[in-house]
Amino acid sequence: MRKAMFVFFALIVLATISGVAMAQDCASADVLCVGLVTDVGEIDDKSFNQSAWEGVQMAANELGAQVEYIETQDAKDYLTNIALFADNGYDIIVTVGFALGEATLEAAAQYPEIKFIGVDQFQGAAVENVAGLIFPEDKSGFLAGALAGMLTQTGTIAAVLGTDLVPPVVAFKEGYEAGARYVNYDVELISTYHPGGLDVAFTDPEWGASTARQAIDLGADVVFGAGGKTGNGALIEVAGTEGLYCIGVDSDQWETVPEAHPCLVSSAMKLITPGVFDTIQSIVDGTFAGGNVVGAVGLAPFHDFDGSVPQDIKDRLEQIRVLLETDAISTGYNPGG
Amino acid sequence: MAIQASEKGPTSSFGERLASFWRSASVPIMAILLAALIGAIILLLSGANPIDAYAALFKGSFSNARAIGRTLEKATPLILGGLAVAFAFKGGLFNIGGQGQLLIGAIVSAAIGFGLGGLPFIIHMPLALIGGAIAGALYASIAGALKAYTGAHEVITTIMLNFVAINITDFLANGPWKDEGIVARTPAILETAAIPKLDNIPLGFFIAVAVAIIIWYLLFRTTLGFEIRTVGLNPNAAKYSGILVARLTVLTMAISGFLAGLGGSIETLGVVGRFQPGFNVGLGFDGITIALLARTHPLAVIPAAILIGAMQAGSSQMQFDAKVSFEIIDVIQALILFFVSAEMIVRWILRIRADGDGGVRLSSGWGQG
Repeated sequence: MRKAMFVFFALIVLATISGVAMAQDCASADVLCVGLVTDVGEIDDKSFNQSAWEGVQMAANELGAQVEYIETQDAKDYLTNIALFADNGYDIIVTVGFALGEATLEAAAQYPEIKFIGVDQFQGAAVENVAGLIFPEDKSGFLAGALAGMLTQTGTIAAVLGTDLVPPVVAFKEGYEAGARYVNYDVELISTYHPGGLDVAFTDPEWGASTARQAIDLGADVVFGAGGKTGNGALIEVAGTEGLYCIGVDSDQWETVPEAHPCLVSSAMKLITPGVFDTIQSIVDGTFAGGNVVGAVGLAPFHDFDGSVPQDIKDRLEQIRVLLETDAISTGYNPGG
Repeated sequence: MAIQASEKGPTSSFGERLASFWRSASVPIMAILLAALIGAIILLLSGANPIDAYAALFKGSFSNARAIGRTLEKATPLILGGLAVAFAFKGGLFNIGGQGQLLIGAIVSAAIGFGLGGLPFIIHMPLALIGGAIAGALYASIAGALKAYTGAHEVITTIMLNFVAINITDFLANGPWKDEGIVARTPAILETAAIPKLDNIPLGFFIAVAVAIIIWYLLFRTTLGFEIRTVGLNPNAAKYSGILVARLTVLTMAISGFLAGLGGSIETLGVVGRFQPGFNVGLGFDGITIALLARTHPLAVIPAAILIGAMQAGSSQMQFDAKVSFEIIDVIQALILFFVSAEMIVRWILRIRADGDGGVRLSSGWGQG
C-alpha cells in the first residue's frame, strides 16, 4: 500500500515536471486578447454560452486573437471572473447572459480602457466601453408562431417554456402567440412556463416532455420548445408521435437535438455567433461605440421538411420577416409595460 | 467511547487532549488528503498539471486580502448551513430543508432591508438580520411540528418544503416584491441594512463564527442542550425521564431553521444586496457536506466551511491558470464526502500507515473509560 502510494506520487511529480506552461503576454499592446465569462453553466451548453464562444473563436481564427474562457459556477462570482481577465491585460471581455449585466457595468467603470461585450444585456444608458448585444426575441418568436399558425391542422398549437423569471423567454412566448394570431386569428394557444426556480427551469427535460404530452392530448399539433434542456425534452417527446411538428429555439436545433429530427421543422434563432464576432471586429476596426447593438434573428432552415412546407407558407414567412425588420408590424411585446 | 473521552477534555492533560483531538480529526483530515490525491490523479489523466492546479486554487483563495475575503465570504453561509444540519442532527433530526429555510431567510431580510426606510443602521441591519433568521425558524418549525404531532418524517417534509420555498420566493421576487424593470428580483436593500466590509473582510463571517460558539455552548454547557442531545440519542429514554419530546423536536427544528435563515440573511445583507432568484443555489445543501465533514461538531464546522469555501473561491483562478474546469472541485468535494462517510476505508488505510501507534491509541481510549 505504502509502495503503491509512493509510486502514484512519483508519477504525479514526474508528470508535473514534464508539463510545459504556455506563456502569453496579454499586457503587450500588439497582442489582442479576448476573454469570455459564461453565465452559470457550461461552455458546451449547445446554447448561449457555446454560441458566444464560437463567435470568440472566430475572432481567434480570423483576427489572430488570443482567446480564453471561464465558466461561472456561482452567480456571485461574475465580477471575480471578469476581474481575472481584466487584471491579466485582456483587451476585450465578453460576458454571456442578462444576469451578468450589472457585474459587467461595474467592471466597465473599474476598467475604462477595456471593452466589454454583454450578450443579452440591454443598455438603459449608453456606456462608452460597453456594447449590449441584444436580440429581438419577440420577432424570432413571432416568425415561429406564424409558421406554427400556418402549419396547424387541428387549430391548436403549444409552447413549452423555461421560466418567466427570464425576460427573453417571456419575449419568445409573447412573440410566438402574437405571430400565430397574426396569421390565424382563431388559433388555440397552450403556453406553459416551467413552475420551478432558475436552478431547474432550464434543466428539466422530463417536465418538458410531460407538458408537451399534455398539450398533444389537448389537440396541439405544433409545439414550440423554448427553454434549454426543458424545451429539448418537449421536442423529443413530440418527435415520438407521427404527424406532429416541433420548433426549436436560440440556435438551429437540427444540429444540437438530433432526436427531434422527426418533428423539427425549424428553430427560432438568435444569431449570437456572428453578433459576437461582428462586435469584436468593430472594436478592432475602431468603429465600436457603446450602447445597444441589435443582433439578427430568424428562422433556421427547414432541413428535411424543406420539401413538405408549401411554397406559399415560405413566401408568407419571408414577407413577415421583412415587415418585422422594418417595424411595419409590431409583435405587441413591450417589456417596459 | 469517543464521546466520553472528548467530554473529559477540560480535565485531562494536554497530551491526552491532543490524542483525543487526533482521534476525532484523523478521519476527516485523511479523507481530505485522499480526495486531493485522487483529484490529482484525475487532473493528470485529463492532461492538466495537478501542482499548477492546486497552486492556482491556493492563489485564488488565500494569496491576498481580496482572495481571503472571498474565501471567508463563501465560508459564511456554509458555516451557518453546516451548523443548521449539525444542530438538528444532535437532536436526532436530519434537516434537509436548509436550502428552503435559507431562501425564506434571504427574501425576508431583503424585504425588511428595502421596505423599512428611515431607520438608523444600528436598528435596521440587526432587525433585517434577525427577521430573516426568525422567518427561517418559523419555516423549519412546520416540519418540526409535522414530525412531533403527526409523525411525518422530517426528511420527506423538509425536502418538499424546499420546493415550496423556491416557488414562494420566485413568486415574491417576480410579483409583489419585484424591482422596477424587467429582471425578476427585489429592489436593492437600503444602505442602513447592509452588513459592511472592513476593507475586504466581510463582517458576516464573524457573526457566523460567534454563532458557532454560541451553538457549541448551548449544546454542551446548558440543560436545554443536554435535553436536545438526550432526545437525539434515545427519544424513548428521554420521554421516560420527563423530557417533553414533542416540544423539543419543534424547538430543535426551529433553532436549526434559525441558523439556516441567518445564513440567508447574511448573504442578502452582506453579499448580494437584494434577493435575486438563482443567487443562493445549493448553499443549504452544501451545509450537509460541511456537517458531515465536521462530524456534526459545532466548532469543527468552521474549518470545514473555510476549506470548502476556499475551494469554491479559488476555482475561477484554477480555471484561468491551469485550464481546469470547475467540475473538478465538485469531484474533490464529493470524494471528501465519500471518504468521511465510508470511514472504514480511511481507518483501514490509517491502520496500515500508523501500525506502531494503533495499540497506544486503543489503550489510551480504554484507559479513560
